Amino acid sequence: MKYRNLSIWRNIDKPLLIMYLLLSVIGYFIMYSSTFKGLHIQSDFWSANYGKQLIWIIITLFAGFFILLLDGSFIKNTAYFTYGFILLLLILVLLMPPIKGARSWFYFSGFSIQPSEFIKLTLSLSIAKLLSDVGSRFQEFRTKLKAFFMIIIPALLIAVQPDPGTMLVFACFIFVLYREGLSGNFLLIGLFTVLIAVVGIFLKASNSVFYLAGSAISGNIFFGLILILGFIFSFLIIRYFVLPRYRKQKIQRLIIITLLGLSISGGINYVYDSVFSERHRTRFQIMFGIKEDRKGAGYNIYQALSAVGSGEGFGKGYLKGTLSNDKYKHVPEQNTDFIFCVLAEEWGFLGSFIFISLYLSTLIRMILIAERQRSKFTRIYGYCVSAILFFHFMINIAMVIGLAPVIGIPLPFFSKGGSAILSFGLMVFILLRLDSERKVVLR
Amino acid sequence: MDPFKNRQWVVVLIIISVGIIFSFRLFYIQVINKDWSERASQITSKTENIQPPRGFIYDRNNQLLVGAETIYDIYIHPSIIKPKDSSAICKLFNLSSDDFQEIIKNASSGYNVPYKPSVFIESMTQQEHAKISPYLGQINAVFAKSKIDRGYPNPIAAHLLGYIRRIDEDQFKNTKEKGDFFYTKNDFIGITGLEKQYEFLLRGERGNINYLKDYAGNKIETVHKKPPKPGMSLYTTLDIELQKLGEKLMANKIGSIVAIEPSSGEVLAMVSAPSYNPSSLTGRDFSDNFKVLKKNDSLKPLINRPVYNDKYRPGSIFKLVQALIALDDGVISPETGFSCNKNIIGCHNHERPNNLTKAIKHSCNPYFFQVYKRLIMKDNSKNVFQTSREGLKIWEQKIKSFGFGNSLGIDLPEEKSGFIPDVDFYDKWYGKKRWAFSTIYSNSIGEGEIGVSPIQMANLASIIANRGYYYTPHVIKKIANENILKKFKIKHSTCVDKKHFEVVVKAMNEVVNQGTGRNARIDSIEVCGKTGTVENKTFNDHSVFISFAPMDNPQIAIAVYVEYGTWGSKWAAPIASLMMESFIKGSLSEKSIEKANQISQAVILNPNTDLK
Repeated sequence: MKYRNLSIWRNIDKPLLIMYLLLSVIGYFIMYSSTFKGLHIQSDFWSANYGKQLIWIIITLFAGFFILLLDGSFIKNTAYFTYGFILLLLILVLLMPPIKGARSWFYFSGFSIQPSEFIKLTLSLSIAKLLSDVGSRFQEFRTKLKAFFMIIIPALLIAVQPDPGTMLVFACFIFVLYREGLSGNFLLIGLFTVLIAVVGIFLKASNSVFYLAGSAISGNIFFGLILILGFIFSFLIIRYFVLPRYRKQKIQRLIIITLLGLSISGGINYVYDSVFSERHRTRFQIMFGIKEDRKGAGYNIYQALSAVGSGEGFGKGYLKGTLSNDKYKHVPEQNTDFIFCVLAEEWGFLGSFIFISLYLSTLIRMILIAERQRSKFTRIYGYCVSAILFFHFMINIAMVIGLAPVIGIPLPFFSKGGSAILSFGLMVFILLRLDSERKVVLR
Repeated sequence: MDPFKNRQWVVVLIIISVGIIFSFRLFYIQVINKDWSERASQITSKTENIQPPRGFIYDRNNQLLVGAETIYDIYIHPSIIKPKDSSAICKLFNLSSDDFQEIIKNASSGYNVPYKPSVFIESMTQQEHAKISPYLGQINAVFAKSKIDRGYPNPIAAHLLGYIRRIDEDQFKNTKEKGDFFYTKNDFIGITGLEKQYEFLLRGERGNINYLKDYAGNKIETVHKKPPKPGMSLYTTLDIELQKLGEKLMANKIGSIVAIEPSSGEVLAMVSAPSYNPSSLTGRDFSDNFKVLKKNDSLKPLINRPVYNDKYRPGSIFKLVQALIALDDGVISPETGFSCNKNIIGCHNHERPNNLTKAIKHSCNPYFFQVYKRLIMKDNSKNVFQTSREGLKIWEQKIKSFGFGNSLGIDLPEEKSGFIPDVDFYDKWYGKKRWAFSTIYSNSIGEGEIGVSPIQMANLASIIANRGYYYTPHVIKKIANENILKKFKIKHSTCVDKKHFEVVVKAMNEVVNQGTGRNARIDSIEVCGKTGTVENKTFNDHSVFISFAPMDNPQIAIAVYVEYGTWGSKWAAPIASLMMESFIKGSLSEKSIEKANQISQAVILNPNTDLK
């Protein structure tokens, strides 16, 4: 059947390929604009940031082409090996001298490699392999435990670097596991946790004070949340009446949820007071609009929002930004974490909306590709890629437009950085390769 | 079948809802809410004023009197100071480490922020800057920025030029109330002299520039620029060489010199002593120097005596005016003689004044007592009080036609009017019908209540040189390319007929050749002059001399007033003589140079009040 590999060009998913290439081209042009210093400044193209980025994109395309020639089973069979190899690099990288306070890079003369970018790819393949192997069933506790450790070990290693943004991305595997049969409760618990955390941090950050029975209770989240939980509790008491045979189960759930809520809010109380430094607290206060610190901790986000806002409806035009490119530098980290500012400033709401639509269409296309597979391995892998890109997108944009606190995380295909460009590119090409075999193999 | 297949839609739904939330949020901050867009233009765009260069001031021969001086502000940029820099900075500027910490603190607090440079040494002179500039290049955190201040290549005529100062709160409000919105609180404004008089021409028109800046405030791209319009240049009537000589001669003395070109009314020199270096009232040391000058209250170095001090009694030079009016009135003729009766009024020994020429030549006091008596008491049949009233009324009007008692209208803001007593004044002073000639006779010899400023004295010399008329004295010849104002071209005639002047001119010539003013003689030039010795009760009398030369084609008329100079002939006459010689001949003879040096070194001050 090997000769049928030659038909890859016929079986490749062209919409995804085009979307990927489109995002890469747009990303490159935006990245060029972000490092643009003015036309009159002549500098060596290949040694400038945009030159290096182009080299990485070319490398990625060559590597992608090479991957398309590989056999899908080879990719699957080497998954654990590559995972182990990158895990080793993640350990070794901790011995490197820190750059900007984090031990995330292997630095060679001229360029650097960030292993944490590649672990996302190899982890995706390994999870896919683990869950799709014949004989392993997700419903078994052992499999769940294996998957858990497979995810948590690199996440912890990255936390040590420290790189909280990248670590946060590992939470995206919850979507993959959900699709493979993890109880929906986990998703709900996740949502519930986020909700309680947001309310809890808001109450802490704003120093709210509650009056109960005439006496002022210091702005502690406890009471506010216990009141909410008490409400839910009594609401469910009424539900008691519905069907007696469900009562026990319902009460159990209620107790679990109540305890969870209490422990989360208590935990947040503790973390906010004892673990967070003043800098973190200020970031949250700024995000909730409680405090203004335009010169200090709030500088990045205020500058970013100004740049985004100044794009207005239709933007200032390509290379005509006056805040976020390298010529003006009003927005810090404008070619990495805050690169969306450049797009929003120069292309306005119209450009931003098209960008969001294209980006999310690409992610949905990946889901659809995953769903059409007969191969479980490919399906799980497709979900992994989509979820990883989705998390990057969500956290990054939410941060830039002021919906989340500032967390350093790149925007795939846009942000400067060779490792990310290569790693995200390889993810997509592997998906394309595996998908092109959908009619041939059943794995 | 896969039991979880439908879960894909949950995932897709989550992705889409995130997209919708983000789109709404972006629509809000980009399209609906304009705050962020406005903030963006606040942080990127900046409009700055561009100061117009202030107009220059030249002398009559286009030599620069007031120009521009480059001075330097030294900036420090705290956030880029390297550890090795701090010791270098301390060494370069001679600072202790405490001073240095203080500087860093100042540059990082208040209006200053550490990531932007701020001034820590203001207005460094070119010499000071030259000393440190080779080392500045080695320290990135410290640099110099040049700016323009008033510069005085010839540090003379401080009073006439005046000075500028940062506008104060009251002036700022006043200009705004008058509808003049030129000034910002950092602007300089002319306070005295020409700087004040021609402020509107000198200041120019402000320009502005709107540009885009980067995060550190550096100018990146100009959006709009309106260049400033430089202030106009003033061409004064002063002669630098004459002014320099005058200031040299008046060193260590109190008083004035005013020299006028009679044929045009142009002021050739205007010296006010004591003087100061005009460049001391510029730049960083302004307030220190100003305090010193202001505090020196007995010498009053800041006032421009030639126009401001109108309390000077003219003394014997006033006899010239009395003679002219008396001739014109017909109360005397050139041949009229009186006896020198020292019983009426004091005098010195001299030949009998049997005509006007001799009286002027010897400055005979009793003679002019009689002349004044005839001027005031014309009708002896009337009551003395009544006839004195009528006589004084006429006399006062005639005197005023010589430019006394009113401002001449010179283009300097400090000019004061002087004072000629009139009927009302004496009525108030003594009461109606309670004064007569016998009360006011000291006016006859220029004492009494008369007040005259040195510019008016020089103008008198100019009138006699012109035989009966004058042009308003002025100090500006040309503004930019336009000639002087029309009002300076109007001929003012006195009430005295031209024919009466010849007698007086001849007499003045005799004063210099044989009379009291022999100290003013110049070889090969016929000089006319009149001495004056003004009574002073606290110390030596004041020395006055007015003069013009040459007699038949006068090029220069001059008045010199040296306080405590004892006699008119002692100091004022030789000073006037040297000035005229220098101007007419273009240089001084060797003998005269020696004389000038002697005069320059002589200290004439009142030990009771001036030398505390």
